[in-house]
Amino acid sequence: MDISAFLDGFAVVTEPQNLFYCLLGVLIGMLIGVLPGLGPAATMAILLPIVYTVDPVSAVIMLAGIYYGAQYGGTITSVLLQLPGEASSVVTVFDGFALAKQGKAGTALGIAAIGSFVGATISIVGLTLLAPLVASWALDFGPPEYAALALLGVLLVATIGSGHTVKALIAATIGLLFATVGRDSFTNASRFTFDSLQLADGLDFVVVAMGLFGVGEILYNLEARYGKAHVPAKVANVWPSRKDMKQSSGAIGRGSLIGFFLGVLPGGGAVMASLAAYATEKRIAKEPERFGRGAIEGVAAPETANNAAATSSFIPLLTLGIPANASMAMLFAALLVLGVSPGPQLVEENPELFWGVINSMYIGNILLLILSIPLVGLFVRILRVRPAILAPITALITILGVYTINNSTFDIFVMIAFGVIGYLMKKTGFEPGPMVLAFVLGAILEDSVRRSLLIFDGDPTGFFTRPISGTILALFVLVVLFPIVGAIRTRRSARTATTDHSDREDSPR
Amino acid sequence: MSERDERPAPARRSDILAELEAETAREREEHRPPAGGPAYQVASTLVALAVGVTGAVLAYGYGLGTLRRPGAGLWPFVIAVVVVILSLLLLVLGRHLDDSEKFTRSSLLVLVGLVTFVGLGVLLPVIGFEIPALLLCVIWLRFLGGETWRSTIVISLVTVTAFYLLFLVGLRIPLPHLF
Amino acid sequence: MTILIGFVPTAAGEAALAAGLSEAVRSGEDVVILNSPRRGATVDADLIGEDVAEDLLARASAQGVVARVDHAEHGSDIVDTFEALVDRTNARLVVLGLRRRSPVGKLVLGSDAQRLLLELEVPVLAVKPAP
Repeated sequence: MDISAFLDGFAVVTEPQNLFYCLLGVLIGMLIGVLPGLGPAATMAILLPIVYTVDPVSAVIMLAGIYYGAQYGGTITSVLLQLPGEASSVVTVFDGFALAKQGKAGTALGIAAIGSFVGATISIVGLTLLAPLVASWALDFGPPEYAALALLGVLLVATIGSGHTVKALIAATIGLLFATVGRDSFTNASRFTFDSLQLADGLDFVVVAMGLFGVGEILYNLEARYGKAHVPAKVANVWPSRKDMKQSSGAIGRGSLIGFFLGVLPGGGAVMASLAAYATEKRIAKEPERFGRGAIEGVAAPETANNAAATSSFIPLLTLGIPANASMAMLFAALLVLGVSPGPQLVEENPELFWGVINSMYIGNILLLILSIPLVGLFVRILRVRPAILAPITALITILGVYTINNSTFDIFVMIAFGVIGYLMKKTGFEPGPMVLAFVLGAILEDSVRRSLLIFDGDPTGFFTRPISGTILALFVLVVLFPIVGAIRTRRSARTATTDHSDREDSPR
Repeated sequence: MSERDERPAPARRSDILAELEAETAREREEHRPPAGGPAYQVASTLVALAVGVTGAVLAYGYGLGTLRRPGAGLWPFVIAVVVVILSLLLLVLGRHLDDSEKFTRSSLLVLVGLVTFVGLGVLLPVIGFEIPALLLCVIWLRFLGGETWRSTIVISLVTVTAFYLLFLVGLRIPLPHLF
Repeated sequence: MTILIGFVPTAAGEAALAAGLSEAVRSGEDVVILNSPRRGATVDADLIGEDVAEDLLARASAQGVVARVDHAEHGSDIVDTFEALVDRTNARLVVLGLRRRSPVGKLVLGSDAQRLLLELEVPVLAVKPAP
């Protein structure tokens, strides 16, 4: 690892402008985590136009801050209101709210903040050590490896991620199709442009992302029937007792590891990590009945894991150029706009950006640890604002924002069109996430595949004969077969279980 | 004895999942319209199928070329064919999924919201952003949000002024403006 | 016949509760305490929790008054919610706490109490908190 570049990164982060954008990002992230409706990916999409006006490093630092900041914010509503602010805080509701009812809301929030900080920091250290290694290993990758990796990434996101797998795959492949609109760089032919001058250069990543995530989410939220008002639990003492900390230390340690590994996996991420960490703690606990009734580990584990996962999900993006989830796809789009091609060469070609972003996470997490508790009162008060008031503000930010990119009203209409698509997708159970991910990767994926075909002189088996791409594709095939095999096995075991059951029923008492 | 040991472990994982699914389902019931039926699943899958078929046909027209010398249409064609295959698969498998939502009266709110978006897009270059934005705020607050007139007017004026100050004065980003 | 008390956890609300309870003691009527949250927001500062509600009921029964707490939500117009509850409970009197609002405050934020005073058909007892 290049120590001097790492240290230079801190010099970049501590520039006042970058510190400001880091603070802004984590505050917005926490706010988004607390407020129902928008998630980090949608917010990053809506704020993408900022990338055009602000210094590149600052913009990426801010966007990154929104993502991991949201993991801190979601906890607040889980503990105080029994309402998960983010999907990754759903598990925290069980023990977190139970603790709040026992008057220990502060303890729950405190241990969540500490666990989040520890998990994120361990993950950042892992990122710091691992990222340059992976990047240097991946420098040997050629187009076939890259193509195989991108395909595996999209497949994992569609399979492991939320939503029905086949539907997610359909969304992803249609996303790949949208990416082909415009002029083909290899043959200079125009595809799917329908003689429109504006479509000749293809669909703009930012506009499509703002449409699918931003406008789509806004339109979808218009239909939400808001539930009853809740009385927030009072927050008294904040500092967890020494006994609490001792009890949670194991959970925090395990949560960090689980989060780190599940975050790197495309499609895994914070939600899965929080689930897995909670399940693990419950399984290895000596008294599992405590869980759901205010077990401090039931808060520490998922909160640590979700922050660790959020941080480690940066690894595939920064080292291989593969976004692991929808939020990373937004960062990917931002980097493309900035003219930076994400991939193994990022650490060499743009060390300022690479280390600037990674090191900003250390600072950002410290800021979050310091701010998350004092700001709880403020955030609870912000929740008094009715969503109906925030909706038009968000809508205006989105429309005016997209206009500022190219001063083009065509962009507004493209965004609206994708907004309608996003809305209809959510209504019919298709996740827009895989579509955005595939769209963002589409051009590069096609490029890699075609270059590979050139290398193999038209022979597609070349993908399998090269060792690395062959292994990746083998994994690809495994991932495709795994759920099918699993489904057959469960059906078979269900049949044997019913025969067992009927046997037992017949046997005399 | 061994059977009983085997059962609890997956049971524990599945009971957390079950708890979570119950939790999210409860939330969904509270906040969202009810689940749509097979018609929604079939209709959406048919749309995907149509996209795939159209894409394949158009891509074929751009020339497939050979694997050695791919034409402009080869990659989109392959992708579109995958879409078609997956859509047919979904038609068979997905009829009884419950992840869609019905269109209800509140979906009209979405339609109104959409119209305001389009309206803002159309009027923005013509009369600047202030008036269309104000109209959008008024419609969203009063008609979509059920706020009082007093509240609507106050919030709309404050919001548009804030945007004016933020974009035009603070960030100095050129937006078409009337004032 | 019942007495309807509009309650929020503020000095004005406390004053309304006290006045409403003493009126109920005098006339031997039941009391309905309306603590109405605004529809839409996740958190409403005016909403009271279970424990506070039980405390109010305890205070009422200490004075020998039969009371219950109602949490009917209101939309943009609180008058509708009050009127509906008045009809349902056959209330003959509504007790409200007034808070000081400056003219500008009333212009910008509006005054629910003022609208209730003007629009409710049953008599309204408007109480100010002790200075």
